[in-house]
Amino acid sequence: MDRAIRVEGLTKRFGAFTAVDDVSFSVKTGEIFGILGPNGAGKTTTLEIIEGLQKPTQGQVSVLGLDTVRDSTKVKARIGVQLQSSAYYDYLNLREILALIGSFYPKHIQPNHLLEQVGLLDKATQRVRQLSGGQQQRFTVAASLVNDPELVILDEPTTGLDPQARRNIWGLIREINQKNVTVVLTTHYMEEAETLCQRVAIMDQGKVVATDTPQNLISSLKSTYTVTMMSLEPLTEDQLLSLNGAVSSMQIQENNTYVIRLSDSPRALDSVLEGIVQNDIRLEHLEVAPVTLEDVFLQLTGTELRD
Amino acid sequence: MLTLTFTNLKMMARNRHTTLWSLIFPLMLVVVFGLFSNFGGSSPSLAVIDQARTPLSQALFDQLLTVHFLATDDFMSLEMEKLIAQSQIESGDLDYLLVIPEGFGAGGQASPTLIYSSDNPERNQLVAAAISGIVISSMNAETQASNGPPPALATSEVAVQNVSFFDIALLGLLSLGIMTSSIISVAVKISTYRGQSILKRMLVTPLAIWKYFAAEIAAHLLLALVQAAIILAVGVFIFGAQIHGNLAWIFIIVLLGSLVFLNLGFILSAWANTPSAASGMGNVIAMPMLFFAGAFFSTTSLPWILPYVAQALPLTPMLTALREVAIYDAPLWQVWPQLAALGGWIAGTAVVAIKVFRFS
Repeated sequence: MDRAIRVEGLTKRFGAFTAVDDVSFSVKTGEIFGILGPNGAGKTTTLEIIEGLQKPTQGQVSVLGLDTVRDSTKVKARIGVQLQSSAYYDYLNLREILALIGSFYPKHIQPNHLLEQVGLLDKATQRVRQLSGGQQQRFTVAASLVNDPELVILDEPTTGLDPQARRNIWGLIREINQKNVTVVLTTHYMEEAETLCQRVAIMDQGKVVATDTPQNLISSLKSTYTVTMMSLEPLTEDQLLSLNGAVSSMQIQENNTYVIRLSDSPRALDSVLEGIVQNDIRLEHLEVAPVTLEDVFLQLTGTELRD
Repeated sequence: MLTLTFTNLKMMARNRHTTLWSLIFPLMLVVVFGLFSNFGGSSPSLAVIDQARTPLSQALFDQLLTVHFLATDDFMSLEMEKLIAQSQIESGDLDYLLVIPEGFGAGGQASPTLIYSSDNPERNQLVAAAISGIVISSMNAETQASNGPPPALATSEVAVQNVSFFDIALLGLLSLGIMTSSIISVAVKISTYRGQSILKRMLVTPLAIWKYFAAEIAAHLLLALVQAAIILAVGVFIFGAQIHGNLAWIFIIVLLGSLVFLNLGFILSAWANTPSAASGMGNVIAMPMLFFAGAFFSTTSLPWILPYVAQALPLTPMLTALREVAIYDAPLWQVWPQLAALGGWIAGTAVVAIKVFRFS
């Protein structure tokens, strides 16, 4: 079985509101697959249908070859799920929570082994509220591994964490994946998707607008670099026009800040830099960066991703 | 499921604040009621039925009014009233009834009769002696001369079971404890779990939903039994309450009542958006029910349709069955109408709970 998840023509409506609109994608066995999108894009609803928490209005979803509606209990026994912002019992320690959740599954891993895996063995007798944000998130990942799953679904595993804690979780996710566990995660951090995911699906307003590897998505853009410059004075119309030849899009922000996405012509960067010098544009700040998934998202949806 | 039940109990034990307070509240009332019943000591009540209607019987009545430790009440001299007064003695609502017969002080030797329950022998002796003295002194020398020696006071004892107000109130307090802790603790717990997505977390596991609820209910029922045992033990061993019936039957009634209230807690949790709203809603349901169901006061004097409303509340059959079994030693099968009513409530509330319950 080379597909851990198959989603075909999935639609979910809540009354008149369509949260997920005719979505199709598949996740290969053994890969880390990311679902990207801003809040309200339909990521969590899609995941909840895959997890068997909600029923689709239309379409089919199969997980590990099983139908998520018909074989919901069998699917649940073989996958691990970390919900977005789920808390745990206040009056149990970490080891007891893992033992309790483990007792719901036919097969389960010893709590100490799981805690060791996520570096929390020394906190085994503490309560969840006594942990830092990063530790709590690591614990929720441990709780999703309690049944030794073949597929783990993580809903925004790093939201609200500081950069160091976030990288720590990335390391943990890679470790899990190296043990042949397929990982599906949602995120609205582009960097996370780029560094962690082998493939991503970009969702916006309930639809999947692209599915590919991050590199392929970036390469598909007709753009090479993003130039962000802050000038001492607002640019005149002539100055703006002088830059125009090499620009695929320009965004004017506050404080005389211009975000210029360059076209894919080989001399685009030279052309813009020459234009700045020749038109005597006096700069306070200049930054040149290769295009990212953020730019892909902007290109595909016309809006920016936000936290 | 056993693991979940055991873990639930462990969490209740660790959540000392909630568990203790839900226990302390009815226990505190047991202490208050116990203190009032044992040491508050209101005056024994006396009703007088004057069938003689003579100046002498009037003089006797006036004299009785001067006895400070008796709360004296007058009755009309109708036979019907005598029957009512006697039944009040049997039920404990009236302590003493003095019947002054026709012909008293009119030359005949008709003796007044003091009727009381067998409930309090020491007090009976004291009151009988006091009233006897008043009867004698009311017949002054002049009337003695014309009527001969004063007639002695006749006494008549009505055999009743030794039931005090506290015995009855203790069962009300027991019901209060079971009702409030069952309704409020479930409503607060489930709305907290829902707010924290803990219920949703359970749903992504293969655990069957019925097992989750069965474990929650089993843990709460065990807690209800412990609570009942503690309340009864404090009432009996510290304040001398008497339980005449079979304890096993009492616990079965407690379990049935607790099931109704747990279901009500599940229903409230579906409507409450926050734990504090759940707690407030629980109190709004529990407190009026406590009084309307007659846990401490008789509901027969309620106006309008309220006595019928009182009869329809789930606490009423629970209280009635508890009293019949605990006080009058009735076997469980004798209270089958109450058990059937509780069974109906359990089934009805379960259907509503399943319909309205929400996990997120």
